[in-house]
Amino acid sequence: MRLETVKDLEKRRKQAIKNKESVPNTILVCGGTGCLASGSAAVADEFSKQLKKHGIDTKVQLQVKRTGCHGFCERGPIVTFVPSGILYQKVKPAHVEEIVEKTVKNGEIVKKLVYRDPSTKQYVEQYSEIPFYKHQTRIALRNTGQMDPTSIDDYLARGGFKGLAKALDMKPEAVLDEIEKSGLRGRGGGGFPTARKWRSAINAPGEKKYVICNGDGGAPGALMDRSIMEGDPFDVLEGMIIGAWAIGSDEGYIYVRQEYPLAVVHLRKAIETLREVGLLGRNILGSGLNFDITIARGGGAFVCGESSALMMSVAGKVGEPRAKYIHSTERGLYDLPTVLNNVETWVNVPVIIENGGERFAQCGTEKSKGTKVFALIGRVNNTGLVEVPMGVTLRDLIFNIGGGIQRNREFKAVQTGGPSGGCIPKELLDLPVDFDRLTEQGSMMGSGGMIVMDERTCMVDVARYFLNFLMEESCGKCVPCREGLRQLKGLYDRIVEGYGTMEDLKKIEWLAEDVRIASLCALGKSAPNPVLSTIRFFRDEYEEHINLKRCRAGVCKALTKLVIKDNCIACGKCIKVCATDAITGEKKKVHVLDQGKCIVCGSCVEICPVDAVQVEPASKAVEVPS
Amino acid sequence: MTLTGASVISTVDQICSNYPAKESSLIEILHDISAEFRYLPADALRRVSENLGVPISRIYGVATFYKGFSLKPRGKKLIRVCEGTACHVRGADRNIDEIERLLGIHPGETSSDLEYTLEVVSCVGACAMAPVVVVNDKYYRNASPSDMRRIAGMGGDADEDKDEGGDE
Amino acid sequence: MPEIIVDGRRLRCDEGETILDVCGRNKIKVPTLCYHEAVESWGGCRLCMVEISHPKWPGWKDWVTACLYPVRDGLVVGTGTPRVRRLRATVLDLLLARCPNSDVIRSLAAEYGIEETSYQPREDGDNCILCGLCVRVCAEVIGANAIGTAGRGTSKEISEPLKEPPADCIGCAACAYVCPTNVIMVLQSRTQRIIWDRSFDMVVCKQCGKSHITVAQRDWLVKRNDLPADYYDLCDECKRKVVANTQKNLASMKYPGEDDLFDIDYI
Repeated sequence: MRLETVKDLEKRRKQAIKNKESVPNTILVCGGTGCLASGSAAVADEFSKQLKKHGIDTKVQLQVKRTGCHGFCERGPIVTFVPSGILYQKVKPAHVEEIVEKTVKNGEIVKKLVYRDPSTKQYVEQYSEIPFYKHQTRIALRNTGQMDPTSIDDYLARGGFKGLAKALDMKPEAVLDEIEKSGLRGRGGGGFPTARKWRSAINAPGEKKYVICNGDGGAPGALMDRSIMEGDPFDVLEGMIIGAWAIGSDEGYIYVRQEYPLAVVHLRKAIETLREVGLLGRNILGSGLNFDITIARGGGAFVCGESSALMMSVAGKVGEPRAKYIHSTERGLYDLPTVLNNVETWVNVPVIIENGGERFAQCGTEKSKGTKVFALIGRVNNTGLVEVPMGVTLRDLIFNIGGGIQRNREFKAVQTGGPSGGCIPKELLDLPVDFDRLTEQGSMMGSGGMIVMDERTCMVDVARYFLNFLMEESCGKCVPCREGLRQLKGLYDRIVEGYGTMEDLKKIEWLAEDVRIASLCALGKSAPNPVLSTIRFFRDEYEEHINLKRCRAGVCKALTKLVIKDNCIACGKCIKVCATDAITGEKKKVHVLDQGKCIVCGSCVEICPVDAVQVEPASKAVEVPS
Repeated sequence: MTLTGASVISTVDQICSNYPAKESSLIEILHDISAEFRYLPADALRRVSENLGVPISRIYGVATFYKGFSLKPRGKKLIRVCEGTACHVRGADRNIDEIERLLGIHPGETSSDLEYTLEVVSCVGACAMAPVVVVNDKYYRNASPSDMRRIAGMGGDADEDKDEGGDE
Repeated sequence: MPEIIVDGRRLRCDEGETILDVCGRNKIKVPTLCYHEAVESWGGCRLCMVEISHPKWPGWKDWVTACLYPVRDGLVVGTGTPRVRRLRATVLDLLLARCPNSDVIRSLAAEYGIEETSYQPREDGDNCILCGLCVRVCAEVIGANAIGTAGRGTSKEISEPLKEPPADCIGCAACAYVCPTNVIMVLQSRTQRIIWDRSFDMVVCKQCGKSHITVAQRDWLVKRNDLPADYYDLCDECKRKVVANTQKNLASMKYPGEDDLFDIDYI
C-alpha cells in the first residue's frame, strides 16, 4: 500500500511501533554471513521448533528474528534478548532447548553461553556491558543486528525514513548545507569531503545525473560494507534517495561485489519493498522527486572498487580505470555527472539530516568528523566490526576494545587501510585514528580494515602477500602497475626463498617510488605503501632475510625449521592437526617431528598449548661473525 | 561436458529477455548464465553478442576480465579458499597447499572428473572466522590443513565441530 | 584563451586541448607509445609523463600523462626534468623486461641510458607492449571491433574473441600498421592476405593489376559509406590518374566566352 505523503509514512510508523510493542519479547539471532558460516540458520530454526514445543506463541508473547551482522563474528552464532539485553555467544542448536527452558521461561542464565572477558575472566551477561560493544558509538551500525534487515516495519519502528521525510521538506541546497556543516568525508578510503563532491555534481552542466553506492568492499578485511548492506539495506537506500534529492538525480545504482550474495538478496528485497510503498519511483512522498535504484553486481575484480573502473563495470565494460584529470562529478557514468559514495558514507546521511549537521560534527576530530567503522581482525582477541568516534587511538582499538593479542603474544604491527595502506609499528600505537594522521605515517585509514599482527607474522611476507594480491587484481592497463608489480613480487620471491641481495632491496625501493608516481590509478599508486612502510619500520627483518637467511617469525618456509622442545606435554594436539603425519609421539613422551615430512605449515605451532613447537632457522641460515 | 546448441540458445534468450537489450546489461546476464550452466559456454557468449548488439570481442573481453566467470566447465563442488588478509595472516596459504595436494589441481583448475573446481578468492567478508573456505554455498570457519579432507568431502573424520560452543 | 608555460616557453592554447596537443603544435618532442592521433588517448604506456606545477599552488607538483591532461591557464610544464626522465627510464626498463627482443623498445630505452633491463626478462614472450592501439583502431576508426583484450593484469593479452580467427575481421591490416612494435603478422601475396589466421581474397586493380584492398574490406566500406559497387575497382593511384586526366581534359576544353585558360600542373 503506497505511502503518498509524510502523513501516510508516520501512520505506518505508528502502526509498526504498536505492533512491535504488542509482542513484549524478542529473540534476535544473528544472520550475518559470519554467523551463518557458524550455523546460525540452524539455531534460528531450532528456536522456532523449541518455542512451539514449549507452547510459546511466537505471534503474541515472543518473536524470533534473524538480524544482520552484529560485528562480533568470532563469537558467533550470537543471540540477543530484547528487552532483557542478554547476549549469548557461540550458540549451537543443541543449546537451544536449554535456553528456552531456562532463560525464556524462567529468566535464568545459561552460564556457559555468556561472554567471558579473556583478561579479567569475568562473565558479562549484558550486551551493552561487554567491552567490545560498550566502547562503541554505533551510528553507521545503529540498526544492524537489531532488526530484521528485510522488514520495512522494523526499520520504521527504529526511526527509519525520518531523515528522508525531513529532507524532502527542505530545499536541496539546504540538504547540501547540512552535509557541509557535518563535515562528512567519504568513508571508502579517499576521505574526500562529501559536500564538496555533491556540490561539484550539482554545478556540472546537464540535466541527467547519477547517484552510485560503492558496495564493492573489495579490500580484504573490509567486511563493514558487507555487514551494512546485509544488515541495514533500507538505510543505504534512504541515504541515496536523500542524495538524489540534493543533487537532482533520477537514477541510482548500487554496485555490489559478487562475493556478497546475501547482501544482494537483502538489497533486492529492500528495493522491491520501497517500490511497492512508493519510496522509490515517481513523486516520492509527494515531493516531485522521481528516483529509482538498480543493483549492479560486480564480476569479481578488486579494481572495480576504484570509482572510474566501477563506472565502467556498471556500463557493462571491463573494469579499467581512467585518469581522474577530469572528475567523475563532471564526467562519470556514461560521461555524465555522477556522485559515487561508499556504503558507509551513505548510511551516515539520514542521521545527519534527521539530527542536523552540527550535532554530527560534535563527534570526532577537527578535520575528521563523526565515527568510523573498523574491521578489527587478525591476531586480536575480539575480532569483528567496531564503530568508534574518529580520534580514538590505535591502542584503544586494539587493546581496550579488541581485548589485546591472542594467546598473550607480543603486538608487532597493525596494517591499516588494507592493501592500499601501510603498517604501523608498536611505537606509534598512540596515534589517533583519523583520515590524516595515518596518512602522515605512510599508511591510510582506507575503508577501515585493521589487521593486527603478532610476532608470528613476517613483515616481508606481509608485503609480498599484498603485492601478490595487487598484481592479481591489476587491470593491466598501465605499464608501471602491470609490469612493475610483477617485478616487485619477483624480487620479494627471491628474498623469501633465501636468494635475496641488498641490491634487490635497493631495486625494490627505487621501483616502488616510480610505481607510486607513474601508475594510472589508486591501485598502482598505493601498491607501494605496504612495501615502503614495512621497509621503513622493519628494515632489520628484511636484512635478516637477505644477509642471515633467517625469518624470525618462522613464516618463510625456505628459511624455517620447526622443532619440538622439551617442554612438550605430550597432549597429542599437534599430531591431530598435522596434515602430513610428520609428528609422532606417545603419551608422556616428548613428541617427535620428522623434518623430512614437514611442510612447515605451522599448524602445530598454532595449536600447541604450551608453545613447545618453536621456529628455528633452516639449514640455509648464516652465522654472522660478531 | 561442454554445452552447445539449441538448449543453450533458448536459455540464453530467456535470460536476456529479463534485461534491457543494451551493453550495460552484460554483466548481470553473464551472472545469470553462469548460475544456470555453472560456466559460460561459447555459444552462449555468441548469442548474447547478437541479442545485445555488442561485438563478440568486447563480450569475450568482459567474460575473461572478471574472475567470477569461467569459460570452462566448473566442477560440482566449487571450493573457494579465501586468501584475504585476515585469512592469510591466519595461515590460508597452508590450506591452499594442502587442498592442492589432496585434489591434485591448482587454483583455477577443475579436476578431470569434473567433481572439483579450486579457486582462490580474495575476500568473502567473513574475516573474523579466518581462515575461511567456501564449498558451493557452505562456509567453513577457522579451517586448517587437517580440515581440508573433510571440507572437500573426501571422507575423513565425521562432521565434528572443532568448537564445542559456549565458553568453558 | 589559456596560456601554459612549457620548458620555459609561453604557449597559447585552445580550450579543451591536452598538453600533448600543445606540444605537438609547437614541435616540442614528447615520447609516446600508446598515443595515435586517429584514436582517443589512452594513457596506458605512461611514457608521455610530464611534470606540472602551478603558481596558484606553490609547492605543489605532480606528474601526469601529457596525452590526457587538459590545459589550464597558468600551468607550468616540464617535459625533461630529472624526475620525468627517471620515470620514463623506468617505464622503458620495465617494457624492455617484458619484450627483450624488441628493437623498437631497445632503442627507445637506450635513449634513456638503459642498455639491458634491470629486471627479470620475460621468457617466451612476443613484442606486444599492450598499448591497445590495434584494438582501438579497429573499434574507433574501422568500426569492425574484430579483436579485443582478454584477461587482465599480467595475463592480459590482445586476443581474437574466443581464441578463434575473428569473424568480424575485414583484413584491412590497420592494426598491423599502427602497432608500434610490429607484432601483428601480415602475409601478403598478389591475390591473398593472411592476418589473424584468416585468409582474405584481394581485390585486384582493373587498371594496373596491383592488389590494393581485401574483398571483405571493400564490401565493408561500400556498405558502410554507401558507395557504388565498382568504387574500388581501381586502386587509389589509378583513381588519382583518372581524376587527373579528367581534369586535364576539362582544362583543355574551351567554353563559349571563356578567354582565359589556367594551366594546371599534374604530377
